[in-house]
Amino acid sequence: MKSPIPIVNTRNMIRDLGELNRKLIRGAEILTGIEKVDVGTAPMDLVYQEDKMKLYHYRREGEATCSIPVLIVYALVNRQYILDLQPDRSVIRKLLEHGLDIYIIDWDYPTKVDMYITMDDYINGYLHNCVEFIRKNTRNDKINLMGICQGGTFCAMYAAMNPEKIKNLLTLVAPFDFSPNDGLLFAWAKHMNADALVNNYRVVPGDFLNMGFLMLMPFTLNIRKYVDMVDIFEDEGKLLNFLRMEKWIFDSPGQVGECLREFIKDFYQENKLVKGEVKVGGREVNLKNITMPLLNIYASSDHLVPPSTTRPLNDLVGSTDKSLYEFEGGHIGVFVGSKSQRVLAPFIAKWLHERQDGEPVKKSGVSPEESIPPATPGKKLKRNRKS
Amino acid sequence: MKKAMDFFDTWVKSQEKLVENWMETTKKLPQTLRGMETFKNNRSDPSGSGFVDLYTSWVNEMISALAKMHGLNTDIIKDTLSKVTDGSDVYVRFYKIWLPIFQAIQERVADPDIYRELIDPIQYKEVVDRIFGFSPDAVTEFLDQASKLSESWGFVAKEFGGPWMKAARKNTAIAPEFVEGRPETFLNIFHNLFCAFDNTIGKVFHIPAVGKDREKVELIMRGCDDLAVFLARNTEYQHMVYVTAVKAMDKVVETVAQKITNGEEIKTFDEFFDLWLDINEREYYDLFRTEEFSKMQGELLDSSLNVRKHFHKLMELYLFDFPVALRSEMDDLYRTVYDLRKKVGYLEEKLNGVTEKEAAV
Repeated sequence: MKSPIPIVNTRNMIRDLGELNRKLIRGAEILTGIEKVDVGTAPMDLVYQEDKMKLYHYRREGEATCSIPVLIVYALVNRQYILDLQPDRSVIRKLLEHGLDIYIIDWDYPTKVDMYITMDDYINGYLHNCVEFIRKNTRNDKINLMGICQGGTFCAMYAAMNPEKIKNLLTLVAPFDFSPNDGLLFAWAKHMNADALVNNYRVVPGDFLNMGFLMLMPFTLNIRKYVDMVDIFEDEGKLLNFLRMEKWIFDSPGQVGECLREFIKDFYQENKLVKGEVKVGGREVNLKNITMPLLNIYASSDHLVPPSTTRPLNDLVGSTDKSLYEFEGGHIGVFVGSKSQRVLAPFIAKWLHERQDGEPVKKSGVSPEESIPPATPGKKLKRNRKS
Repeated sequence: MKKAMDFFDTWVKSQEKLVENWMETTKKLPQTLRGMETFKNNRSDPSGSGFVDLYTSWVNEMISALAKMHGLNTDIIKDTLSKVTDGSDVYVRFYKIWLPIFQAIQERVADPDIYRELIDPIQYKEVVDRIFGFSPDAVTEFLDQASKLSESWGFVAKEFGGPWMKAARKNTAIAPEFVEGRPETFLNIFHNLFCAFDNTIGKVFHIPAVGKDREKVELIMRGCDDLAVFLARNTEYQHMVYVTAVKAMDKVVETVAQKITNGEEIKTFDEFFDLWLDINEREYYDLFRTEEFSKMQGELLDSSLNVRKHFHKLMELYLFDFPVALRSEMDDLYRTVYDLRKKVGYLEEKLNGVTEKEAAV
């Protein structure tokens, strides 16, 4: 949308108007022609369900080269398909390509009937049952656990309470130390009356949270993004990419009241996790009990979960094989950025391959520049599937 | 085919409207251009706004036509189109606000004070309102609805809501004065709220507190009290946002003046727009990270939740005699469902254990 300044002649005015008009009309025409906006298209099977929670298992082209399956746990906020937004921007497909056997939890959309679900139910109930299901069905005593954002916080707590069941723990852009105020959400949550919020809504609407996210950068997220979009209207590929991301951003499940109450009060406001004061279902969560290898990934420009909230985990765990990985980019870039596909996903696969046999890996420092093993084709996997 | 027809029908309608408006604008164009030439003599009435009005009118037509279309396949497409047109609207409104300054720049004026004088605060407030989703009519509408609701239940006379609506209208009208930084505006707003309070709740105080309606009266009183607190908090919150907008605009103006003084060229309107966005984003980040803002936001949320809470209680009281499930009753039911789910889960687990043991034997 380029227009010269001080326009004092009609020709320029008409040209600008015409150009804007043309782009918007053309954009409307293209948008009208779009049948649907596909997301999360990597093939998968529903293998376990409990209430609204669903556990999916991704299909593979060949046999997995890493013998230990990975369970991915996404946050309750937003939807897990960001990891498989589209075929060429899919962390899931990359991890599959690099030989991993992947399961993922879909928390679904809670309604008021779910209003009493607690953090204990999420962690020691649903998450635990998924871990048990995978252990039993793949005949593994231990599995790999990969938690993302709030899901990473949940996974760390689960691993601390059940270290004997987790082979390796990976956390991506997950908050652990809630005391820093450099992330606006962290500063704002400290003055939020969680009881009033939860008692009023029961299930806090996704739109309420979205409003908070948009307030982080109101001018960029409400205006600039859409003004710039006029320029990509005529490129259907770019337009679809944009729409997929929009779909994900505004596809926000409501937040179950009881769990949200605990998360705001015990974590954001009282920072109990790093103080060792969190109790989940009456069980103490001591992060020192995390003794399995840990890969903690943070994004250098993350404005949602700043590095200062993520990095401290490595100082709090009991693991000797622990690594911090800095991803250059923002929170969402970790899932959909080109570097995420090209470097991060292969690196995660490599890190897990190296730790699949239970032998400690001597070299615990990580570098994104390390050589990445090529994707390994294998035989077709035979597995009993429930769907 | 139908979809395409729908689209073209919409397109034709919007184009017809566009042509009509365009003809109107064309008629006025000579006058408009004359206005541009006489800019020096009349800076408060900048010309060239015909272009903007035309565009805005067209966009509005387009949006309303698109909203009625059946051809759009998903909500996300509809929402996105609406957001793009909103974004473009802000872009063009911003253009309109800056037009007088562009003209001043053309005349080699590089004085930030003159630039400031050329900015129309009311128009600027409208832009800020759009970005932050402030709806000047929302409070009035809310009070209007509340009044109608009370009226339909036959409990409180319709006059009950009247003074509040009047106060809201007055407060909305004087809101632009915030932009100009007049502290007495606060006093006026609180005075308006007090008058509304005195004319409604003040009267309710004289109602004998007996009979089964007593609880309802108390709740209404509490609700009105909460509403007054919410309106006051909301006013303070919006004030904070407007003041920051003015600060940001000051910085933009100074930056532009500096560029002109340095002989730098600003080639496109986009450059202005980006500068404005960047400076605003920084200013708002600085505001948002303050303890004061976080507290204010927390208090605003709390006060709005209080209004909501008392409204729900009141609804329950009124619906109590009707054959409908109340919110509190549903909460109890959900609690039972939750407890039963847990019990079933526990029993299933036990049963599986027994079955496995038997199988092993």
